[in-house]
Amino acid sequence: MRAESLLCVLCALCVRFFIGVIGLDPTGVYFQPVNASAGLLADAEGARLRPQALAGFLLAAALVAAPTSDPLANLPIQVEIFEQVPTGAPFQLEGLQPTDRYSEPAFAFVRTPTKFSSNAIPTDRSTPFVLRASYARQLPAGRYHFRLRARGAATFLIDGQTLLTTKPQKPNTSGDDPVPPPVERGNSPLRPASYPHQDATVEFVSDGEKHTFTLMAVIGGKGLYPTPGELAVSFGPPGTIERLLGPDGSPQLTDAAWEAYVTASQSRHTDADIYRRRNVSQSVVAQWEKRHDNVRQYLATRPAPAAPAVASTARIANDIDRFIAARLDSAKVAPQQRTSDLEFLRRVTLDVTGLIPTAEEVKAYLATPAAVRRKKAIDRLLENPSWADHWVSYWQDVLAENPGILKPDLNNTGPFRLWLHQSFADNIAFDRLVTELIEMQGSVVLGGPAAFAQATLNDAPMAAKADIVAQAFLGMKMGCARCHDAPFHPFKQKDLFSLAAMLNGKDLKLPATSTVPMIEGGRKPVVTVALKPGEAISPDWPFKEFVTHDETGLLPNTGSLPTRRAVAARIIAPENDRFAQVIANRVWKRYMGVGIVEPADDWSRAKPSHPELLQYLGHEFMRSGYDLKHLARLILSSDTYQREAAAGLTPQTGAEHRLFAGPARRSMTAEQIVDSLHLAAGKSFDCEELNLNPAGDRSAAQFLNLGKPARAWQMTALSNERDRPALALPIAQSAADVMSIYGWRQSRQNAATSRDDAPSPMQTLILANGVLGTRLVRLSDDSYFTEAALKNTTVEQLITDAFLRILSRPPSAAESKTFIELLKPHFADRKVAGAEAVKSGPKTDSRVSWSNHLSSEATLIRLEEEKKLRMGEEPTKRLKPAFRERFEDTLWALVNSPEFVMVP
Amino acid sequence: MTRRELLKNSSLAAGAAIAGNIQAATAGDVPKGKADACIFIWLGGGAAHIDTFDPKVRGDGKKKPGSYYDAIDTAIPGVKVTEHLSRTARLLDRCVLVRSLTHDISGEHAAAANLLHTGRMPSGTIQYPSIGSIVSHELGSKSDAVPSYVVMGYPNITRDPGFLGAKHGYVYLTQIETGPTGLVRAPDVDSARQDRRETLLARVRDTYVQRYPGDEIITGRAAISRQAFKMAGPRFLNVFDLKRESASIREGYGGEFGQRCLLARRLVQAGVRFVEVSYNLNFLNGSGWDTHNEGQLKQHLLIQDLDQALSALLADLEANKMLERTLVVVTTEFGRPPEFDSGGGRGHQSKAFSSLLAGGGLRSARVVGATDDLGKTIVEKPVTVPDFHATLHCALGINPGKNLYAGDRPVPITDHGRPISELFA
Repeated sequence: MRAESLLCVLCALCVRFFIGVIGLDPTGVYFQPVNASAGLLADAEGARLRPQALAGFLLAAALVAAPTSDPLANLPIQVEIFEQVPTGAPFQLEGLQPTDRYSEPAFAFVRTPTKFSSNAIPTDRSTPFVLRASYARQLPAGRYHFRLRARGAATFLIDGQTLLTTKPQKPNTSGDDPVPPPVERGNSPLRPASYPHQDATVEFVSDGEKHTFTLMAVIGGKGLYPTPGELAVSFGPPGTIERLLGPDGSPQLTDAAWEAYVTASQSRHTDADIYRRRNVSQSVVAQWEKRHDNVRQYLATRPAPAAPAVASTARIANDIDRFIAARLDSAKVAPQQRTSDLEFLRRVTLDVTGLIPTAEEVKAYLATPAAVRRKKAIDRLLENPSWADHWVSYWQDVLAENPGILKPDLNNTGPFRLWLHQSFADNIAFDRLVTELIEMQGSVVLGGPAAFAQATLNDAPMAAKADIVAQAFLGMKMGCARCHDAPFHPFKQKDLFSLAAMLNGKDLKLPATSTVPMIEGGRKPVVTVALKPGEAISPDWPFKEFVTHDETGLLPNTGSLPTRRAVAARIIAPENDRFAQVIANRVWKRYMGVGIVEPADDWSRAKPSHPELLQYLGHEFMRSGYDLKHLARLILSSDTYQREAAAGLTPQTGAEHRLFAGPARRSMTAEQIVDSLHLAAGKSFDCEELNLNPAGDRSAAQFLNLGKPARAWQMTALSNERDRPALALPIAQSAADVMSIYGWRQSRQNAATSRDDAPSPMQTLILANGVLGTRLVRLSDDSYFTEAALKNTTVEQLITDAFLRILSRPPSAAESKTFIELLKPHFADRKVAGAEAVKSGPKTDSRVSWSNHLSSEATLIRLEEEKKLRMGEEPTKRLKPAFRERFEDTLWALVNSPEFVMVP
Repeated sequence: MTRRELLKNSSLAAGAAIAGNIQAATAGDVPKGKADACIFIWLGGGAAHIDTFDPKVRGDGKKKPGSYYDAIDTAIPGVKVTEHLSRTARLLDRCVLVRSLTHDISGEHAAAANLLHTGRMPSGTIQYPSIGSIVSHELGSKSDAVPSYVVMGYPNITRDPGFLGAKHGYVYLTQIETGPTGLVRAPDVDSARQDRRETLLARVRDTYVQRYPGDEIITGRAAISRQAFKMAGPRFLNVFDLKRESASIREGYGGEFGQRCLLARRLVQAGVRFVEVSYNLNFLNGSGWDTHNEGQLKQHLLIQDLDQALSALLADLEANKMLERTLVVVTTEFGRPPEFDSGGGRGHQSKAFSSLLAGGGLRSARVVGATDDLGKTIVEKPVTVPDFHATLHCALGINPGKNLYAGDRPVPITDHGRPISELFA
């Protein structure tokens, strides 16, 4: 159907169709992972903090405890979800059992709870599904105006009588729709319906008695996104501002009240998802703990190597230091000095949370007695929810998580980032995580491990997965074997395809492309091709040197393919100590910069530098029940980790010279840089929703909605391979620009353990001159530093504040002198009397989408926005330019010093 | 001893022997061109070959398939192009028309664009580099004051350096007016303010370096930080200042796309090795080169705009004595069929489509390959994407069979591509 005719049909049928388009579909955050909104703001106690939008910037953060009860229980509006509803008659629910029940405070439904399988994995609901909301209340006698707002088919009943209906949403296949007109709100304070929502209204006269209210709405369906949009019922006496249907005092249908409701609702649902998931997970955890008991019994028969007695004078904090000291002593190399306390704090905070410490954390740390401050910092940080954020970015690389937001077709996976994040947030046992990944169950498009199974436009997806799994968990890099017997590695093409067939659950045919063509009269091939295209390969475990048995043991039965479960069981089998050692080495490398085994993903020709330490760490990991935090605590608490960087130690250093007198000198990752910059400036990510279909009228498989990032790992490839201006997301691009230059891969077509983030002039320049760097040093009214400049009473305090916040240290005497000379002459007279804060932050037009990207208007809107974004955001009017510019230059110098991007 | 253990012990020696073989195997006889830079003009969306470089009998825009425009004679006797390429037609003797490009991906723009930029389909085990990154890798920078690879268009996967790593990535700009990302200072920072910033930065940087004496990583970072600001200095940024060209030159190139082509010439002059210029001014006809439905109606505006810019570029390169050493490529992800869709536009066709090459020391004034009466199938000398890439690499003096290394894995620059030999003397 042509776009125009589609619009005409709908316009004729609905009450208010083509109005209101500015606001993002609030369901965009549907996909936002748990804690995402709180990601950047975590306090010293590790409790979750939520940003509170006040006058458009983050002034304060509220403390929110982890949920101890279901936040969606005992609210006035009862909600039920029905799946597999009859086609053609979605509202005939008699005889159907709801698959979910919960409650909401009022008749506005911007998100539905995530459905979790019996092993707590995010799972798809049927699409469509029906939401039914019921409520009864007394309604004082008189006339009322009722409004139903929905994106798709919905019906609203009072006392069983249908009063309002909206039409089904139609899937869209057009790319050349017109850009919807901007919102016109006239004189009404009511929030207008945003495109493509429909409003239906009716007058109702109450007799003053109690009435029952029922809403039924179809969510999703073929070719539609399975989210509710701005589904709501509001009401009020004529001439008043409508309120959401619910108890007296429910929010008004104004922009401000609606946005506050959405924020609260998102947070409630995020908490509810965590609560419900952990609830479901309890019995699963118990099953895994039983397995861990067995592992411990097994380990009792194979004790870890004892730590050597050490004669040297090196500080010994735990056994790690003994293993390290033994080799240092015999090589007659002295260990490095301990770092200063502040260097340690910055290093350990970056390593655990991916963020630099806040100035408050620095102060609290220094106020703690010196003897215990490091230990207390480690304890506190390991409970920080950002632990999960920082690990997700690592495993996205290692597991090649590669979602595409626009018709994925370049070896894209689904977004299993959500499941990864929740797994680290819940600190599930790592053997369980590996098993769940390999079982590949749950939702493909909404972030379950089934999304790992996807590999678009790849003719042997399971061969790709076999390679990823083998290198991630066994240190067996099999990539070459995709097309031929590996010339430099001890395995054959058949090994890879046998493992691939296990993941496949049945025989796998070798695709024609997975070979090296032999050209008649061509050059002599240097590799052996043992398999023929089209040849069937049967499931078979190729790594018999690690483990030979095929018992799945105590794995909870999840109904996954038996051969997948067999792969998982063998990888995590207690007699397979390769697995535990590979993971221990990965954690070691992440904190020390260099592995005990290098390369960490390719052990076939590698030699461990400290074989007994490796065994000890693997043993500890297994003994702890595969607890990543136990490993982390061991390493972070060692004196070895807490020493100054050892000169010359790199991943290329040979095993015999890898003594670990201290950790390697490292630079921050792209994610750490971008997140830390935002944290220092006190500015939120504030980019577009990563979604090219805000109207929700296309299938999730073709147009993923990855939500609005709050942390850098949530960024994704912006998928503009079509190179069309109207498909650009310019604000997100400015963050992606920085991240790409610092080694983040917008496309993760293959697994990678180490990034290419070697220093380059462009790294310096993108921060110094780019849109993101410019925004983060700009003293706009959403900057922490604008407030600091207004509040601090002396220039010395202000300079120290900036140094602590950006570099986690006070300025040196020479630095103090330089910056005091710069700022002091303008400090006393810096304020502009009577000037007010204005809402700032970048903004682009969310009306531009895939559906209209071919239109000239959409193209011109984006081209203009790019130019405007380049100008940077409005500076504050509360500071005089002479002072503001000099203080901005101060921040610029601190952020652009190499010190900022280096881990101490 | 298991098989794997056996192999483990012998793999190092075997690896060395194999590596030797690989070197020997790739030193084949390939032509070696003299071009030292490439301007790669990208008509994203799928430019219709039968409405541009491979005209056929006129269709009617509805039922009767065929070209949408009349054809005109060119400077190559007997060779015609569409009437909207009249200026380029007069310079066609400096060009080569490749009318027999072919591949299998007609469904998806992203996958086809990726193929045309990397020469390969994704494998899932490594990410292949774009041709721009390969050229940057092989030819290196002419000077450390200029980057070797510049894109005028949007950053995306097809242009990425893949396994060659970030240092072979690109500097990009999406519009002339916004300038190269990362190189141009924020508009509120004039040079006096920049000087102040760099003085302050030097103070903090020096403090840092002094605190870790002898740490080579930190000293190295500090050195790169100092060097970087030189790259963002006037010498390179002046290249972007088109006002340094005479008004007649600038006007000769035409609109935004023409100005991008002019900038491409200036970049090559300054030492950039590979410049990709995207033609994505989709607002001219509402669809860009992806002329489904009504996009077809104003397609001639795109073609005329391309004609003005391309002809100006060729003439200007020639006037500056740069054409012999600068390979100009005009290409796209696929062509379009002679039939019209229900909206009067065209679908996709990857089995047969065209590209234009010019300069670069190639033997010009010729047409490679031919299609049937309606441009649907190739009847003469099919050119695969690896062959096409091999031709570009040879023109730039790069051996298309040479191995690049993804870690220790050898990856030939092209997937068995063979250059179009008749283009090399």
